[in-house]
Amino acid sequence: MGIPPEVQNVANQRIVEVLVSKLRRRQVVGSRQTAIETVLVLRQVVSKARFSNIEQLIHIIKAVGRRLVQAQPKEHTVGNTVRKVLHHVREEYQAVSRAGPSTQTAKSSFSISKFVSQGQPRKQNLTAPKSDTRSTSLRENDPNDPDSFAKGLKPVLMEAIQDVLDELETVYDNVSKSAKDHIHSDEIILTIGHSKTVESFLKAAAHYRNYIVIVAETAPSFGGHEMACSLSSAGISSFLVPDSSIYALMSRVNKCILGAHAILANGGMFAITGSLLAVSAAQAHSTPVVVCAGQFKLTPLWNLYHDYGALDFADPSSVLGFEEGSLVDKVDVINPYFDYVGPELIDVYITNDGDHPPSSVYRLIKESYDDDDHEL
Amino acid sequence: MTKAERREQQERQRAAKAEKAAQNSGKNPPKSANKPSQSSGAGAPALTRRGSRAADFPPKGAQGQSKDAKAGADDKGAHTRGLRIFSHFGLPKPTSHKGEIHPAIVRLGLQFSEFKITGANARCIATLTAFKTVIQDYVTPPNNTLSRHLMTYLSPQISYLVAARPMSVTMGNAIRQLKLDISGTDIDLPEQDAKDALCEKIDTYIRDRIIAADQVIEETAGNKIKDGDAILTYARSSVVEKVLLAAHADGRQFTVTVVDSRPMLEGKKLLQVLSSAGIQCTYLLLPAVGSVITETSMVLVGAHSLHSNGAVFSRAGTALVAMMAKQHSVPVVVCCETYKFSETVQLDSFTRNELAPVELFKSFPQNRPQDLSSLNDQPNLQILNPLYDLTPPSSITAVVTEVGVIPPSSISSIPLALGRTML
Amino acid sequence: MPVAHSPIQALKSSSAVPTTILEDPSGSLSQQGFDVYASYQRILENEEIATPLAAILALTELIEHSKAGTMFELVKELHEAAEILKKRTTNPISLNAGTELFIAFVTLFPHESDNFADLKTKLVKQGQDYAAEALTFRGKISELALDFIKDDSILTHSYSRVVMQTLLRAHKQKRISVYVTEARPRGLGVKTYEALTAAGIPCTMVLDSAVAYVMDMVDFILVGSEAVVESGGLINAVGSNQIAIIAKAAKKPFYALAESYKFHRLFPLSQYDLPTHNDDILSFPRHAQRLSPVLTARPSVAPSPLAMTPEQILRNPRVDYTMPDLISLVFSDVGILTPEGVSQYLVGMFAG
Repeated sequence: MGIPPEVQNVANQRIVEVLVSKLRRRQVVGSRQTAIETVLVLRQVVSKARFSNIEQLIHIIKAVGRRLVQAQPKEHTVGNTVRKVLHHVREEYQAVSRAGPSTQTAKSSFSISKFVSQGQPRKQNLTAPKSDTRSTSLRENDPNDPDSFAKGLKPVLMEAIQDVLDELETVYDNVSKSAKDHIHSDEIILTIGHSKTVESFLKAAAHYRNYIVIVAETAPSFGGHEMACSLSSAGISSFLVPDSSIYALMSRVNKCILGAHAILANGGMFAITGSLLAVSAAQAHSTPVVVCAGQFKLTPLWNLYHDYGALDFADPSSVLGFEEGSLVDKVDVINPYFDYVGPELIDVYITNDGDHPPSSVYRLIKESYDDDDHEL
Repeated sequence: MTKAERREQQERQRAAKAEKAAQNSGKNPPKSANKPSQSSGAGAPALTRRGSRAADFPPKGAQGQSKDAKAGADDKGAHTRGLRIFSHFGLPKPTSHKGEIHPAIVRLGLQFSEFKITGANARCIATLTAFKTVIQDYVTPPNNTLSRHLMTYLSPQISYLVAARPMSVTMGNAIRQLKLDISGTDIDLPEQDAKDALCEKIDTYIRDRIIAADQVIEETAGNKIKDGDAILTYARSSVVEKVLLAAHADGRQFTVTVVDSRPMLEGKKLLQVLSSAGIQCTYLLLPAVGSVITETSMVLVGAHSLHSNGAVFSRAGTALVAMMAKQHSVPVVVCCETYKFSETVQLDSFTRNELAPVELFKSFPQNRPQDLSSLNDQPNLQILNPLYDLTPPSSITAVVTEVGVIPPSSISSIPLALGRTML
Repeated sequence: MPVAHSPIQALKSSSAVPTTILEDPSGSLSQQGFDVYASYQRILENEEIATPLAAILALTELIEHSKAGTMFELVKELHEAAEILKKRTTNPISLNAGTELFIAFVTLFPHESDNFADLKTKLVKQGQDYAAEALTFRGKISELALDFIKDDSILTHSYSRVVMQTLLRAHKQKRISVYVTEARPRGLGVKTYEALTAAGIPCTMVLDSAVAYVMDMVDFILVGSEAVVESGGLINAVGSNQIAIIAKAAKKPFYALAESYKFHRLFPLSQYDLPTHNDDILSFPRHAQRLSPVLTARPSVAPSPLAMTPEQILRNPRVDYTMPDLISLVFSDVGILTPEGVSQYLVGMFAG
């Protein structure tokens, strides 16, 4: 299908470029911040976009998404947000197009393969839904008024994108809602690194309970130091320990609470280096492992390349600096940024949308994203 | 006698503290931070006493504050309870009384407390060498025999060392052997001969149980290293270093991955030694071990001591490495001389451990300038730095000793097999 | 007569049954007019078609030749045909998967058209279309699995068409090496070995008893399937369960490749809860087995490996059941699934 050239140039819009360069230089810090910025960019793109049917709009969004993902493939929240927006766009479009008289062929080809993948034919397509205020029917590809389709759809889309943005902004509050049910008095919690989600979770629980937190310092990023300072200034008794003592202390720990970088479709996750150690030690002591993460971290990717994490390596000089001059060229230094933790090691994911066991993550992904969008 | 003195001293201190606590209500957290430093010595009696001292806290906190709101008392209770579970780890106290301590021992104590000499073998050898000097300088007072008086002369020296830094199992075993030798000296022997005989026994001990044992271990463990292997080791064990250098000198081709951890960062020294010998090395920090363990063919670690249930007490972090290796079906081999055997059974890392001084923790590497003071003035923040941990026998595949390669739990049957009563 | 695509046309080359619908004035259908089992056998001669697909196609042909006048009669005929097929096959599990899928589809097919003959035509077309599409499933699965294969050593069991296709596809882009088990007693592993070596893939045969020995050298295990059941478990040639258990002990991933028509609504509680299990399997012989004369006549100078007698082999199972906690992922044309995810599809099809 022919895409008019002005549609294709959208991908080069300035605002997209700005975000692309920020991503490439890793100037955006934090998964949630990245997601928020992506949504803002998409909102601009959609509001300025010109399209006369739904496929064009989706094509535009996908093109932008592809550019952003290519800028920083390790930051999965970018792709996830784009997919989420696409899902909402399609949903809104379905809702609106059903209201109008131009219904699709409701009884689309029902074949055996559809039967297998979608189950028994549901009757939703046939009945008319509740009447909307959207009485104007959408005319696609109208040659007289090419913008009517876009104009009709845009307000709805803006609302949908605003929903996504709202969800992102309230992530920490929603995750922390159930904090006091998960942490009991006088428990000893172990955490590593500095995850803002876990931080807000623990601080929320501190309002109701008195407990102790052990923070492992997580060399070489030393995120544990900031976490410990932040928690102790909130009044939680904290212990800062080096990573080597995780196994030693695990016999006293009641729960292990960690953050995630991305949650994969098989229920596993990418998390900061050191998580695999903590989780394995927890399993050896039968300590429950709880992961706090927002739903925007759900990634419809299965673990590719197995245990090699996200294949992202950080600066080796923080491990072995140049002051050890004689060693630097004789020795290989490895400083991976992420670990892959398998689904069998995690007990529950606490997300802003409730608590889920790892075995139902694939279902969450099916609900949040459309199958067509797995590959942008 | 000195033990009794110590006991009195601690009773006095406890009484004083009870008074102070009754007066100052809201100062519990800083006091419990000071509490470990007030303890002296880390012998077994002190451990139980410290435990009972800690038990005094909740009642002290609760009593005499009847006017306070209940929430306030609960708060204090929670704080002290939290810090209490780690309270039995003694922090080393800077030694004060020098009295009749031999200067060699004083110097040794200083080296221990500043972590200039680390490692079970190194400490044991240094201690025994220092004792040789002490014995040579010793003069038997009149109306006394060497075999009876020397021991009482050495005791305060030993407790001085223990005060500087808790005794390692190796030191304990060596000193026990020394005591046995001293009490076995012939009464009729002239003093200088007796002293020479003792020094020779010490030399023999070092030579047989440590140096020669290491050589046998080098060879035995070296045979397990095949060409093309990727060996992983943690921190710095003197034995493992010897094994790797010997195997390399033997012409075997292998690579070594050195896993290191803060705050001691001992692995760097090992890295220096190995790479100057020409071995291809990789270096990484402990959290990254999960990424490389799949490529490893064998894990080689040292031990501080070995217990009769087969558990290995070693540098903190060894348990993590062994656990990861076991999960990925990588054999874990512990290189350990038989004199490191301890007859006690340890169940977890809390039974007996040592906390490193906080200053050691805060020494950041140069490339990461940090505002260290931010760590100091947080009232709810404690820094805990256990130096050792316990690796359960299930994570260990084999132990290489000078009597051969044995499964970890068989170490207790060795004395019987060798016809000795104790190791 | 609906025009079929070429692969289907090949099937219709030789038909033992007249290809026109006989007009039966009495309106009742005689089952003897159409031998569904012969049709099934004929379809199976095409190597590319798996048993469930062959069952679906056989039932499709039945509809073609059926003289039923109402949906009720048609479904009844289909059930009877399925029973016939089941009775005459030794291992009916995958066959059942196909027949149940098709019968459920037929029952749920929205039929607004009043003309029943018209409906039958549509059903037949659906069946043939599906079969044609199903032949692309293996390609889809191999594309999905490709992302998980690096330059790896792969262990596979017996012979499976979908695994073969995946390995050949992977060989084009990556450097894989394959261990294949012998898979006694049928020895289909040899077939895999020959096909892979002919394609230039480094391959070696492994004794069934040496799987534990080789497991540490393997990166992951790839097997095909006869059926994937509701629990998320796998039914496959005997030996798969063993390999899965060893893989779990060695912490290697175990992947199953299964086309979606192999999803079966069965929930075995154990090996002995399978429909293929009967009391004869692994029972003790009632009288002492005499050595077959061939063995006793052989001189002891040349020791060749002793072999089980055919009776003893018959007393051993042909398929076994692998529990879902041993399986890492199931690759199917509907996507990559965790074992728990399989039941979602089955419930969608058959529940309610």
